[in-house]
Amino acid sequence: MEKMIDVELRNIQKKFQNNIVVHDFSLQIEKGEFISFLGPSGCGKTTTLNMIAGFLEPDEGDLLIKGKRMNGVPPYKRELGMVFQTYSLFPHMTVAENIAYGLKLRKQSKAEMQERVQRVLDLVKLPNVADRYPKQLSGGQRQRIAIARALVIEPSLLLLDEPLSNLDAKLREELRDELKRLHQEIGVTTIFVTHDQEEALSLSDRIVVLNHGSVEQIGTPTEIYHNPASEFVHTFIGKTNRLHGVVTKVEGNRMKVQTDKGFVVSALQPAKAVQEGQRVTVFIRPEKIVLSAETAPAGVNQANGQLMMTSFLGAFTECQVQAGGEILDVKVQMLEKLAGVTPGSSVLCQWHEEDVLVMPAEGDRL
Amino acid sequence: MNKRLPVLLLTAPSMIILLGVFLLPMLLMFLLSFENAQESFSFENYLLFVQDPFYVEILWRTIRVSLWTVLTTLVLAFPVAMYMAQATGKMRGIITMLILAPHLISVVIRNFGWVVVLGEGGWINQMLLSLGIIDEPLRLLYNELGVVIGLTDSFIAYMVLAIATSLYAIDPSLSKAASILGASRVRTFFTVTLPLCVPGIFAGVTLVFSLSMSAFVTPALMGGTSVKVLPVIAYEQIMSTLNWPLGAALAFLLLGSTILLVSAFTKIVETKRYKEVFAS
Ligand SMILES: Nc1ncnc2c1ncn2[C@@H]1O[C@H](COP(=O)(O)OP(=O)(O)OP(=O)(O)O)[C@@H](O)[C@H]1O
Ligand SMILES: [Mg+2]
Repeated sequence: MEKMIDVELRNIQKKFQNNIVVHDFSLQIEKGEFISFLGPSGCGKTTTLNMIAGFLEPDEGDLLIKGKRMNGVPPYKRELGMVFQTYSLFPHMTVAENIAYGLKLRKQSKAEMQERVQRVLDLVKLPNVADRYPKQLSGGQRQRIAIARALVIEPSLLLLDEPLSNLDAKLREELRDELKRLHQEIGVTTIFVTHDQEEALSLSDRIVVLNHGSVEQIGTPTEIYHNPASEFVHTFIGKTNRLHGVVTKVEGNRMKVQTDKGFVVSALQPAKAVQEGQRVTVFIRPEKIVLSAETAPAGVNQANGQLMMTSFLGAFTECQVQAGGEILDVKVQMLEKLAGVTPGSSVLCQWHEEDVLVMPAEGDRL
Repeated sequence: MNKRLPVLLLTAPSMIILLGVFLLPMLLMFLLSFENAQESFSFENYLLFVQDPFYVEILWRTIRVSLWTVLTTLVLAFPVAMYMAQATGKMRGIITMLILAPHLISVVIRNFGWVVVLGEGGWINQMLLSLGIIDEPLRLLYNELGVVIGLTDSFIAYMVLAIATSLYAIDPSLSKAASILGASRVRTFFTVTLPLCVPGIFAGVTLVFSLSMSAFVTPALMGGTSVKVLPVIAYEQIMSTLNWPLGAALAFLLLGSTILLVSAFTKIVETKRYKEVFAS
């Protein structure tokens, strides 16, 4: 079956007073896809979303929605749904009037309007708040109503600009699951803007990682997590240990690195091939390092050290291990079970070679 | 208990002053207004407004002129307030300064300025005459139009600032939300912006109306002898005719009708919805 392209950005560029905020942004979004724009604050996520919505015009490039060029079309003619960070419910209208706002403009009959309002209220699991005013709702309820208001017009595309960032942690997770359920239920093509990598990883079909207005990588959550295209992507997507070193041996698809602080690391040959003698950066995620109370000589992919500090976070414990002049971050599930391991005791850190990521050192990439 | 003592002590001076120079004279004036020529108690002064067409017309004129002033300030102030609401902070400051700057000059001098501009030999009439648009000078002064022009100039700043303040409070993303839901800019204005600045309009209207009802200098200077309003008549009774009881009655009638009209307006505006949405 041929894939339907719902939204297409072709070499979009946007400047604010000579300051390039979005640079050569190209992307094709399939019908029904859930896409996240992920990046640090100020990287141009909102600007891009505003161009898709029509609040801003790109300086260069084309925007196509359902195959039609949208440059210059005002927002009110684009038939999109959008949810804002600050909810943006009309304070002088009841929940029902808020939701019916878009339907009224589409000249629907009263009966049909009422039915559709009730249907989306059921969809967001708030069937009994129709007559309340927004300020009589909690933050989470407001955001659900904002989502309902965007969905009721059956938009061709749903835009979400950090819709969860004003909510507390628990509610955020709850609404995240809710969003996932909604998307599975109605299958509307969705663009979700966030700077929270967990949200992006858990919700998206594909993630667009942005940095300084440029696309760093476009890929599925697992691709982004396991095969980052750049050091930026790898470090942005989660905590990591970074070691500098030199490649000492390359053998087929495997290689060895001697780090400056004295570790010997074996790894698989990365996508961007490296040669013997080249300076590289080695990344190992904290959750990939196994901690034990054993004493063994230092060797390939293992290092002796001293447990410095622990912070218990419930499901796991974050530890810092001082090993040969490096401080390694290690994430341990059930540190309690490692008998006799307390801050100050000697520990052994081990990892598998397939969990090691090697990239040419930043300076060498140029 | 002893929390109230400092409050009492701190407010005492102003309370005493208020009592002595405001409430007490008011009470005395009120009693005075029920005195007739024979210095005995009667409703004579107040009955004038039911019986004498001259006074009835003056009351109506005062209300009419005030309502026109409210309307013109509202229409002129709204675009300015809208512009201020979308301008940068610096621009807002500049416009606020420009709006308030004329108030640094005495209202008497400003009104004389208008007399010069609007008179038969003023530049407005001269220009219109020389362009051949009119054959004889327009009467822009010493009628109700002149008073409305003067009052509009005096009070428009209050209207602008009241409306602008309520516009500032509107989250700009609301118009974005309306727009993406399919509302054109005009539609957004009437369904979102306007309803949300009702409190500002309400404040501006009440303020300008009360100020216009009690304005004295502008009607006296720009209305001349033919279009007198209540405050001017009250002044004349007290200062020229020395009929203090009638002057006092006129003043209380003015106060009473202003309170009555403002409360009626408040009743109309403060619907159930208004209270739900805007009550804090
Ligand atoms: N109207 C504007 N005029 C000038 N510069 C702007 C304007 N809007 C945004 N910028 C700049 O463009 C850059 C990108 O802004 P944008 O709002 O798209 O960031 P973002 O990725 O959404 O960040 P955040 O996560 O903080 O919301 C920022 O550096 C910002 O300062
Ligand atoms: Mg943003």
